[in-house]
Amino acid sequence: MSDRRVFVLGGGISKMAAERVDGNIRDWVTEAVMEAVADAGVEIADIDHATTSYFSDHFDKQLKMGAIFHDCIGMCPKPNVRVEGGGGTGGLAIRNAYAYIKAGLCDSMIIYGTENMGRHVPSDVAQQFIALASDTDWEVQVAGFYIAYYALMMLSHMEKYGTKEEQFALASVKNHRNAIYNEYAQSPMRITVDDVMNSPLITSPYKLLDNCLLSDGASCLIFATEEWAKTHSTSWYRKPRIEFVGTGCGSDYMRLADRPLPYPGITHFRAKKNASKQAYKMAGIKNPAKELDCFEVHDAYSGVELVSCEDLRLCGYGQSGPLYEEGYFDLGGELPINTSGGLIGMGHPVGATGINQGIEVLTQLREEAHPQRQVPLNNGQGGMDSHGGTGTFVAVNIFRRVD
Amino acid sequence: MAKGVSVFKDPEKTLYPKLPDVPDLKEGDRGLVRTKLHTFTADDPVGPKLHWDPIHRADQDPWKDFREIMRIEWKMEITYRHCLGKYSKFFIELENKKFYATECPKCGFVWAIPRPVCPDCLEITTWKELPGTGTLESYSISEFVPAFMKVELPYVLAMVKLDGADSLFTHQLRNWGTDRSKIKTGMPIKVAYTKEPVNHPLLSMWFEPA
Repeated sequence: MSDRRVFVLGGGISKMAAERVDGNIRDWVTEAVMEAVADAGVEIADIDHATTSYFSDHFDKQLKMGAIFHDCIGMCPKPNVRVEGGGGTGGLAIRNAYAYIKAGLCDSMIIYGTENMGRHVPSDVAQQFIALASDTDWEVQVAGFYIAYYALMMLSHMEKYGTKEEQFALASVKNHRNAIYNEYAQSPMRITVDDVMNSPLITSPYKLLDNCLLSDGASCLIFATEEWAKTHSTSWYRKPRIEFVGTGCGSDYMRLADRPLPYPGITHFRAKKNASKQAYKMAGIKNPAKELDCFEVHDAYSGVELVSCEDLRLCGYGQSGPLYEEGYFDLGGELPINTSGGLIGMGHPVGATGINQGIEVLTQLREEAHPQRQVPLNNGQGGMDSHGGTGTFVAVNIFRRVD
Repeated sequence: MAKGVSVFKDPEKTLYPKLPDVPDLKEGDRGLVRTKLHTFTADDPVGPKLHWDPIHRADQDPWKDFREIMRIEWKMEITYRHCLGKYSKFFIELENKKFYATECPKCGFVWAIPRPVCPDCLEITTWKELPGTGTLESYSISEFVPAFMKVELPYVLAMVKLDGADSLFTHQLRNWGTDRSKIKTGMPIKVAYTKEPVNHPLLSMWFEPA
């Protein structure tokens, strides 16, 4: 591999909300890009390449939407590619930036992700679009939808390791609470485990407050080589330098039913194990639980966060439940997870989610986060994991502060 | 907190302001645009400031000249002619009350959800009839389902290990009575077939407690 090093120069987020009526999808992308460009201290005219990250053509009834975003921000006639991997789209876009820069196809890349999931369509129709991301021949026909698949996994986790519903609820409480200190977040709430347990039952063991949100919003990150940054970025000498040091990717059978037993069976995310293994190896991380300062985990549903922690080797198999009770993953704990609020607190506009996670890690490593959610930096390393389907596509990315 | 009280009704718990409910225009007030729903002034979505301002906005509302928004209605209807392809025998045989899986001639793995090609060996598989009995591996009981899915609530999605198969099969568990505590992993399950017409061939079958 080439010895080019890839750095993150800046990021921008446009407000996440249940319904952004103040503009449409192209407006949010533009907002996020403007903020990222200002943060990175670069001119859009200097950037070589773009990556578009969005999941569904249905939500905005627009195909080839990337072309519109691309011209909205004045990137024509430069190259642009779209990446798509369900909920993992944003994480894969970040990985794409690494690949393109590392390969020498470009020296700088802007990636922007978004999704228009709000109330342009009724919630029912939105659910239908999301259900189309599972197997339409075999799963959708039997009334399978994502909450139900994850519920099957969680029941299996509960039976295998004795994890309790209250432990799942703790993840939701934590993420809503972390979102209070994040101005971009959609759902900041101070709630208790009882609030979660008493919220309406959707699919046992999941209640309403265990779920992530349908969101509108966009986000953007800018990557470049050191040489490019030195000549084009005014922030290079002003802000802490954050290097992109590891990336991994994994996949698993689309249908839960096909996954080999006993591991991962219907309990674990094999793709996540594979992706994180690659990413840690690349970043030279031997003990992720000790060497990382913060992690953004794809918490589409509260239980997913617990299982993910295990497959990402942030704790041992079956240990996540008790660790949540200890506050191990809380702000102020050993390894704070989802300091931004995660998908549950921050919001989940699919194409933007992975990029939001990257921005949160960037913010944390630069020590620019709200003082109440800033984590102490010991090793100056943070990670993010972004997944689509029931762990069907996974991207894990690791960032390191190099001063 | 008392049971049944929604946290969403407690204003102190949600900081983000709720969107104003803008009623749709009446037919006569739509002007020249028939599909116009409403024209309104949108708020600044960042909303009231929290204790600390991480957003570097010189102007507190840089988009103030762009806040007048029109919303219209746009309908689309799509019907597909969907081909079930090489999996079709499975669906055709359901009408004869037969449950078929596929077996890999090389590794011998029996895929309960059939596959014309074994993904592990890339060998063309052979059809194999299963007895239609098995055990419950996992399940979820739903109180909610998107309306397009048209099932009666509560409904149970079951993951079943069928006898003679190596992978699992997903379908609804029906006729389990009313006592949820009677549904347990490991319980014996059988495949049941419909007598009524259905919209999709996969609904010609479902699982029942054996």
